[in-house]
Amino acid sequence: MKALNQIWAIAKREQKRMLQRGIYTFCMVLAPVIAFLFFTTLMGEGLPSELPAGVVDEDNTATTREVIRNLDAFQQTNIIEHYADVADARKAMQQGKIYAFYYIPKGTTELAIAGKQPTVSFYTAASYLIPGSLEYRDMKMMSEYASGAVGRASLYARGYTEDQAMAVLQPIKMEMHAVNNPCLNYSVYLCNTLLPGIIMLLIMQVSIYSIYVELKEETSKEWLAMADNDIVKALAGKLLPQIVTWSLMGLFCLFLLYGVWHFPLNSGIWPMILNMFLLINASLALGVFFCGAVPSLRWALSLATLWGVLSFPISGFSFPQMAFPDTLKGLSWLFPLRHYFLIYVDQALNGLPLYYSWLNIAIQIAFLALPIMVLSRLKTFLLEYYYTH
Amino acid sequence: MKWLRNTIEVWAYEMKCALLDEGVVVFFIIVPLLYPLLYAYLYNHESVREVPTVVVDNSHSTLSREFTRRVDATADVQIISHCQDMEEAQEMIHHRDAYCLIYIPKDFAKDIAEHRQTVVELYSDMSGLLYYKAVLSSCTEVSLDMNKEIKAQLIPGATDEQISAFQYPIEYQYVPMFNTQNGFATFLIPAVLIMIIQQTMVLGVGMMAGEEREKVRKHIAEPHIIGKNPIEVLLGKSTVIFTIYVFVAVYLACIVPSLFDLIHIWRWQTLLAFMVPYIAACVFFSISLSSIAHDRESFIIMFVFLSIPLLFASGISWPASNIPIFWKGFSWLFPSTFGVNGFVRITEMGATLEDVQHELNVLWIQTFVYLGISYLVYKRTYGKQLWA
Repeated sequence: MKALNQIWAIAKREQKRMLQRGIYTFCMVLAPVIAFLFFTTLMGEGLPSELPAGVVDEDNTATTREVIRNLDAFQQTNIIEHYADVADARKAMQQGKIYAFYYIPKGTTELAIAGKQPTVSFYTAASYLIPGSLEYRDMKMMSEYASGAVGRASLYARGYTEDQAMAVLQPIKMEMHAVNNPCLNYSVYLCNTLLPGIIMLLIMQVSIYSIYVELKEETSKEWLAMADNDIVKALAGKLLPQIVTWSLMGLFCLFLLYGVWHFPLNSGIWPMILNMFLLINASLALGVFFCGAVPSLRWALSLATLWGVLSFPISGFSFPQMAFPDTLKGLSWLFPLRHYFLIYVDQALNGLPLYYSWLNIAIQIAFLALPIMVLSRLKTFLLEYYYTH
Repeated sequence: MKWLRNTIEVWAYEMKCALLDEGVVVFFIIVPLLYPLLYAYLYNHESVREVPTVVVDNSHSTLSREFTRRVDATADVQIISHCQDMEEAQEMIHHRDAYCLIYIPKDFAKDIAEHRQTVVELYSDMSGLLYYKAVLSSCTEVSLDMNKEIKAQLIPGATDEQISAFQYPIEYQYVPMFNTQNGFATFLIPAVLIMIIQQTMVLGVGMMAGEEREKVRKHIAEPHIIGKNPIEVLLGKSTVIFTIYVFVAVYLACIVPSLFDLIHIWRWQTLLAFMVPYIAACVFFSISLSSIAHDRESFIIMFVFLSIPLLFASGISWPASNIPIFWKGFSWLFPSTFGVNGFVRITEMGATLEDVQHELNVLWIQTFVYLGISYLVYKRTYGKQLWA
């Protein structure tokens, strides 16, 4: 009972410190909220539409104008300019005005009618991967369509039915199913991991700051004395208000993703609440571990920053992990965000039973053992070290 | 020429301070040195190859086996298993043994023989968009080839050209420009390099400023500051940062890309004319921002997380044309937004200085605006000579 009282007293002290210093309010409330709103509204469209594109129509016949009108009507493409030649269009691309352009050489219509198979081409600025590939998709579809229209017309003229014509033109057809994200929503694909990632990064940094700022301000002895120099109680009291605040922020994040933006949630909300809670605690555990690993506010923060920023690429939510070098694949097990992402894929995205995620859940729990390894070291640091520049 | 002597004095002293402060060295030198190597190593393979895929072949025909064999032979897809039914295939995907599924219907061969269109269904796990791309493009490619051959049988005696003209009355070709392999490293790393310049500089400068604030609060005077006016201090300090980052920028913009065979088709004159205002804008931006650094460390935790939103705000990933106006305005505050776009176009797309005129202009405007703010900040910090 006494222990609980002590922890409670330390927690109240911590809460007071958190409210007094703007930095906690900024990093625990303002920063995450700004980041959440930033990412979800930035990608609010889901799939970017009406991307600027150009055309070079050297043929300029009724048919080619029709093709260009149709291309413009596609959802992702917005023809903003006609260019006189390829060099001009290329220039516009280098100036960042367009992401792609469609090139119809002179005589295309004539050759097509004569059955001489002319070639049209489309160019994308592949340095901008997303808009480039989206416009590629539209332009390819348009080309297939234009070609198909001519082909179908000539077959209809020979008395083919539509089914027969399709069997001749395209005997084998591909039908793609993007399971659980049918419209390829980029926001679903990125925000589901980016937002928790921001929380993870801030948790590690704030926890380290909150522990070692005591050393810097020479209050660490006072803090530990409140717990009879018991590091477990001291940490429990200090981290309690943080766990509560971060849990609320985590719930807010889930509410935003699944309540406001209605991202796929095939598992129901509970597994994701568990997932978020595990991420928060694993991140806190890592923060404490870094404190115990290096006895300096600055170095522990630098370590957490490295770990936190590296978490984003290494989780493999944008560039899949299977294409990483093997050493980094192994290393990725040490990042809580990686496990959060995998649990999210199994649960919210694919709606599998919870036991499919058992390994990742177990590892997130195992992170909680990390602080135990450094507790006595950390206590020594807090009692005997001084802050140095 | 007293001001020049004063400035040089500040410069020499600050340079020594910066290089001896291990916390600052981490941000100014170690992070810019190592981070790009890590990123380049991570994305070394550029794109996803041999995505593990399972097949459910209900047709069991020579033709369906031919289709599967050819898909397997493509670079992007690897068939790891033939499953009896959809349940078995889905189970493999759920266990992450495979990411895509190709379903060939029972009537596949029969349909083709009887001149009916047949549909092959492709399924992709959406945990990664690149899986989707890999299986779709590989299967489409194979189907186009096979369609051509099937058609040859439909129109006996036709030449290859006739068949091709029949299928594609209008041929088309796709040319990905600049990043010709659609590679991930080529797309992301140049932006990250430019981001590193701004972010590490902000952190290092913030740390230095935080320490100064701590000293001012404790009335500890830096000997080299006494008797200097704010403009001399500002000039001295900013040139220190500028000098260090000239080396950092040469490493990031010239050495890293050639080390990892990333595209770098810049002319050095263009790159120089662009990087100078970028670094200058970053220097004064960092100094302006450092006015809110209360102590050495608080700045780190307030600013690191912004790196990720800022990378997105630059328009390198989510296209700039589709960024809501409010966030666009926000992104204009940061030199990185213009730095990233200008640099990517110069280094990968061979843009000339004229092509990046807009970015260049804004960077100069930012330089002067932030210079003005920096001056005010220094006037407040050093103008009153609080410790005197």
